[in-house]
Amino acid sequence: MSEFLASIQSVVQLVQDSETSTALRESQYVWSLFEVAHVVSMCLFAGLIVMMDLRLLGVGNMQTPFSQLQKRLFPWQMLGMTMSAITGGVLVFGDPMRFYANIFFWMKMTLMVIAALNALAFHYISYFSVDTWDGNKVPPFGAKLAGALGILLWGFVIVSGRLIPYNWFQNN
Amino acid sequence: MLQPYFQAMNDSWVAKAISESLWIYPLDQAIHLVFLALFAGAILILDIRLLGLGMREQSVSKVARDAWPWMIVGLLGLVATGIPQLIQNAMREYYSEFFWIKMYFLPVALIYTLTIRRMVSQAEEGRVNPGMQKIVGVVSILLWFGGVAVPSRLIGLFT
Repeated sequence: MSEFLASIQSVVQLVQDSETSTALRESQYVWSLFEVAHVVSMCLFAGLIVMMDLRLLGVGNMQTPFSQLQKRLFPWQMLGMTMSAITGGVLVFGDPMRFYANIFFWMKMTLMVIAALNALAFHYISYFSVDTWDGNKVPPFGAKLAGALGILLWGFVIVSGRLIPYNWFQNN
Repeated sequence: MLQPYFQAMNDSWVAKAISESLWIYPLDQAIHLVFLALFAGAILILDIRLLGLGMREQSVSKVARDAWPWMIVGLLGLVATGIPQLIQNAMREYYSEFFWIKMYFLPVALIYTLTIRRMVSQAEEGRVNPGMQKIVGVVSILLWFGGVAVPSRLIGLFT
């Protein structure tokens, strides 16, 4: 196990030492451009996810049937997700050792996987029967649960992402 | 002119209390971002509709009325978590160009959203032509993202 981790770490170190990664890390303007773009993408992605989750909970955007909201917001959510992933990926590439050794980064990654599983579970369970509750003021329990979990999970993704600069638990 | 007030915030017991805690300031920043997501979502869902780029089966005024309370919640949360950050960093903010850009655009964006954008989007269907709606949506995105959100992120990156 420790050998495995050591080999991963050496790959991360290799990226860290590469010319492109170093240049990105040392350019204040390019680095900042990606930081800014990452937050703007987050607004688009998380913002429209929250709008949909509030509808699932039965507390927001109630004048629009859920399926309509879902269909019309989906392309924008996917655009936001793609932009977040690209800008986030570039930032990780630009300083991989920092993220590799950071507990909040791994928390964020784990929470994102769980949030994705929540979305998938909703899609295959409650959304399957959307025709029966589409316009309801009170969505079924499964839909509410998915909405509540979505808000909680993506909220904690944002919180752990913001805490990455605070490396309290890092030992170098 | 405002420097003494910023200095006073900087030296206040509130600033001291925040800086003595390891967690308060980081958590405040993190919660600020969560409210940003809520606020941005409530702004964007309507701007996307105004631009005619989504939610087109639904009327502009219904999207606007539904998004309104969540926009207000988001805004209140942003202000409540923003003020402690300002107090804690008062002198840094005072000397930050981006902080002042944010502070100039924030009231403009706010007044625009509470007046023009609100009237245009909550008007009866057919009273505002789609061209006007598009302009109102574009101006909203430019003000909130170009004028407020982007400079906000830059405060911490260029100090």
